Amino acid sequence: MSALSAEPIPRDTEHRSRTDARHDLIFRLALRFCALLVLAALLGAALSTLWGGRDVLFKDGLHFLFSSDWNPVENQFGALAPIVGTLVTSLIALILAVPVSFGIALFLTEIAPRWMRGPVGAAIELLAAIPSIIYGMWGLFVFVPFMATYIEPWLSDYFGDTSPSGGAQAVRLVIGTLILLIPTLPMFYGALHRWVHGIALTATAMVLALSLSGALSYVLMFSVLPNLFNGPPLGLGLLTAGIVLAVMILPFISSVMREVFQTVPARLKESSYALGSTTWEVVWDIVLPYTRSAVIGGIFLGLGRALGETMAVTFVLGNSYNLTASLLMPGTSISSSIANEFNEAVGLHRSALIALGFLLFVVTFIVLLIARFMLRQLARKEGR
Amino acid sequence: MNDLAAASAAALTGASAQPKLKVRDVHFYYNGYQALKGINMDIPEKQVTAIIGPSGCGKSTLLRIFNRIYAIYPKLEAKGSIELDGENILDPNYSMNRLRTKVGMVFQKPVPFPMTIFENVAYGIRHHEKLSRADMEIRVEQALRSAALWDEVKDKLKQSALGLSGGQQQRLCIARGIALRPEVLLLDEPTSALDPIATGRIEQLVEELKHEYTIVIVTHNMQQAARVSDRTAFMYMGDLIEFDNTEKIFTKPGKKQTEDYITGRFG
Amino acid sequence: MSAVYARRAVVNVVALALSGLATLIGLAFLVWILWITAQNGLEALKPTLFTKITAYADQGGLANAMVGSLIMDLMALLICAPIGVLAGTYLAEYASASRLGASIRFLNDILLSAPSIVLGLFVYVIVVLPTTELTDGRITFSGFAGSVALALIGLPVIVRTTDEMLQLVPGTLREAALSLGIPQWKLTMQVLMRAAFSGILTGVLLALARLAGETAPLLFTAFGNNFMTAHPLDKMASMPVTIYQYTNDPNPALHAIAWAGALLITLFVLALSLLTRIMFSRKKVSYE
Repeated sequence: MSALSAEPIPRDTEHRSRTDARHDLIFRLALRFCALLVLAALLGAALSTLWGGRDVLFKDGLHFLFSSDWNPVENQFGALAPIVGTLVTSLIALILAVPVSFGIALFLTEIAPRWMRGPVGAAIELLAAIPSIIYGMWGLFVFVPFMATYIEPWLSDYFGDTSPSGGAQAVRLVIGTLILLIPTLPMFYGALHRWVHGIALTATAMVLALSLSGALSYVLMFSVLPNLFNGPPLGLGLLTAGIVLAVMILPFISSVMREVFQTVPARLKESSYALGSTTWEVVWDIVLPYTRSAVIGGIFLGLGRALGETMAVTFVLGNSYNLTASLLMPGTSISSSIANEFNEAVGLHRSALIALGFLLFVVTFIVLLIARFMLRQLARKEGR
Repeated sequence: MNDLAAASAAALTGASAQPKLKVRDVHFYYNGYQALKGINMDIPEKQVTAIIGPSGCGKSTLLRIFNRIYAIYPKLEAKGSIELDGENILDPNYSMNRLRTKVGMVFQKPVPFPMTIFENVAYGIRHHEKLSRADMEIRVEQALRSAALWDEVKDKLKQSALGLSGGQQQRLCIARGIALRPEVLLLDEPTSALDPIATGRIEQLVEELKHEYTIVIVTHNMQQAARVSDRTAFMYMGDLIEFDNTEKIFTKPGKKQTEDYITGRFG
Repeated sequence: MSAVYARRAVVNVVALALSGLATLIGLAFLVWILWITAQNGLEALKPTLFTKITAYADQGGLANAMVGSLIMDLMALLICAPIGVLAGTYLAEYASASRLGASIRFLNDILLSAPSIVLGLFVYVIVVLPTTELTDGRITFSGFAGSVALALIGLPVIVRTTDEMLQLVPGTLREAALSLGIPQWKLTMQVLMRAAFSGILTGVLLALARLAGETAPLLFTAFGNNFMTAHPLDKMASMPVTIYQYTNDPNPALHAIAWAGALLITLFVLALSLLTRIMFSRKKVSYE
C-alpha cells in the first residue's frame, strides 16, 4: 500500500461549490422551461384556435353550434352537421370497439395459452402503429366497396325498410328476439322483481318485464332501425366511418383493459375460483368491478382518439353537410371538414374551420381529462 | 508494518486515537418521525468503526448524515452537530463539495457508472481537479491498486464496468471513492449483496485501507463487525446504546440490550 | 341445481368463445389492411418512385415527397427530442413528487392523444400566419412549419418515455455520484442519461414512428410541393400528404403510386415499432 495516496490534495472547493451551484440552478431552470413548453403547447393550441376562430364565434355565437346551414358561398357557417357527424361516428366506433376490445383483453389475460399472449397482444397493438392515412386508403378502396356490396344492401333490405316485406319482418323478429329480447328480459325481470317483491306475484314481474322488453325490441327493430339503415348502399357514410374508427381505436382500448386486468390481485381471482366460479364469472364479477374506473378511462381514451381522428374518416365519410338520420348516408365530421376545406377557405370560412378546431380541441380535452382521471383512480387504489 | 503495529496498539487503548468525527446530540427526522434520538460519539481517526444493530435502528441513517447524502431527499432533517476536524459539517455554510471530497461513501449494492472501468474512477477526480492525461492514469492506477483491483482489470480498463462481477464492481466503487483521496470512508453494508469469497476480499481491503483512512462501516453481520473493526457501536431504535472497543462489545458488553443482540436473543 | 350449473357453463363457454372471436376479428383487420397494402404497394413499386418527382404526376415518382418527409421528420426530431428529453428529465429528477410535476405529467398524457389536426391548426396560426405577414406572402407554408407541427406530435411521446426510463434508474446511482461531489446537472447529463440511454432512444424512435405517418398536421403547415426542395422555408412535399392528394385524385395511375408510398411508409413505421419493442424488452434487463 502506497503511503502517497493518503496525502490530502489542495483543492479550491469553495470556488467549485459556487460554480456547481450556479450551473445546477441554470440547468434546473432550463429543464423547467422545457417542461413548461408542454403546458404551453396545450394552452397555445386552445388559445390560437380560439383566436383564429374569433370572427365566426363573435359573429354567430351559439348559433354557430346549433345551425346546420353550412354555405361558404353565402358566408353562412353552422357547425351542427360536422358536430353531429363527429359524435355519431365516434359513438358507432365505441359501440363496436368496446365489446371487441373487452373480448380481446379477456382472451389475452385469462384464456390464451401463455406463449400466445405476447405475439397476439403485439399484433393487436400493431393496429395502433399503422398510420391513419393507410386506414383511409384501405377504407376508401377496399372497405367502402365491401360495405356497398355485402353489408349495406343486407342492412337496408332487412332493417332499412319502413314497410318491410314478410321475409324482412321475420328476420327482424328473430334478430330482435335474439339480441334484444333475450338479453334484456332477465335484466328487466331482475329489476322489477325487486320492486314488486311482496306486493304481487312473480308472474306480475314476468309479464311486466316481457312487455317492457318486447316493446323496446319492437320499437328498435321496427321504427328506430329503419331510420338508421334507410338509404342506398353507397358504402360511403357514417356507418362505414364508424367501423373504420372502431378498428383504429380498438388497440388503445384493449391495451388499457389488458394492462389493468393484469393488475387484479391473484388472490381475489383465486378466492373466486375456489368458490367454483367459472372464468366468465370471475371476469364479470371480480375483474371488471375491480378495474371499473380504469376500464372507463380506457374507453374514454378511445373516444378521445375517435373524436379527433382525421385521415381515416375523411375519405369514407362522403363530405356532405346534409343532416339525415340514416347511418348509410354520407356525412362529415369536424376534422374531415377542416382537412377537406381548409386550404381553399378564405376569410370567414377559414375562421369557421379554425373555430371548429377549437371546438374539437375543447371536447377532446374534456374527454381525455376524464379518461386520465379515471385511469389514475386505479393507480391510486394500488398505492402507486 | 510499523503502521499496522501502531494502529492495533491504538485500537486496544481506544481512547488514545484522535477523534476524526465528533458527533454531538444528533437528532434526525423524516416526515416528522424521529429516527435518531440524540446521538453522541467520537469516531477515531484511522481506525475502523463498525455500527451494528437490528434493521430500522438508525445505523444507516446515521452513516448517511456523515456526508449529508440524505439532503438530496425532501422532508428529511438533521439537528445537532458533527465536527470534522473541528468544523461542523451540518452547518449549511459548510460546502457540500468540500464535504463530499473529504468523506467518501460506498453503498450496499455495487453501483458502477455506465462507463468504462477507467472512466468510473477518473470521473470523480475530473470534476474536482484538472489533471494531465498521464497524471490521471497514475491516479486511477493508484486507486485501483489501493482497492486491490488493479491486477484484475489492468488489461480491460476500456471495457464497460457493468461487465465486472459483483465483488469486482464493489471494489471498483471503493476505488472510485478513494480516488478523490477522502479522509473518511463510509461503507454502508458493503458486502450484503456479495458472495462469501468477494466478502472476504472486501474485508481484507478494509483492513488495509484503515492505515490511510478513517473508516465507518455499517453492517448487519456481527461477525463481520468483529472481524474488521476496532470500535463497535450498537444502536437500537434510534439510540446509541453502547460504543466501545470491539473486543469489549463482543466479549463483555456493558449493557443488557447489547448482550441480548450479540448473543442472538433478538434482532 | 344441475340446470343452474348447465346455464352457467353455457354462459361461460359462449362468453369465452366470443372473446376468442373478438381477438380473431382484431387480427383479421390487421391482416386485411396489411395484405391490401402489401399487395397494391408491391404491384406499384418501381425504381422511378425513388428517382422522379411528383411534378410528372402519373409518369413521375415520389422522390421529392421522400426527401421532404425525411427532412421534416428529422427537423421535427431535432426540435422535439432535446425539449422532450429535458422536460421528461425535469419530471423524473426534479418534480417527481411536486404538484407542478404531477400536472405537467397529466397534461402531457393529454397532449399525447390530442387531435393532430388541431395541432396543425395551432402551428398554422402561430407560424404560417406570422411568416406570411412578416414577409408579405413570400414565405407562407413551409417545411419548417411542418416540422414544428410534427414536433408537437413527437414531444409528448419523448417526455413520457424519458420520464419513465429515468425513474427506472436505481436511486443508488444518484447517491453514488452525488457522494463524489458531482453536481446534479453533471450527474443527470453524464450518468443518468447514459444509464437510461437505450430507453430514451426508444422513446425518440417511438416518436419518429408516430410522427412519420402523420398527415393531418402537415396539410396546412408544409402544404405540399411538386418539386424537389430542401429549403426549410419553402413549401415542402411529404409522403403522407402526397398519398392523401393522390388518393383524392380520380386518376387510377396516381392511386397506384399512392399505394406504393403507403407500403413504404407502413414498412418504415412498422419496422420502427418492432425495433423499439425489441429494444424495450432488452432494456428491462440491463440495470436490474
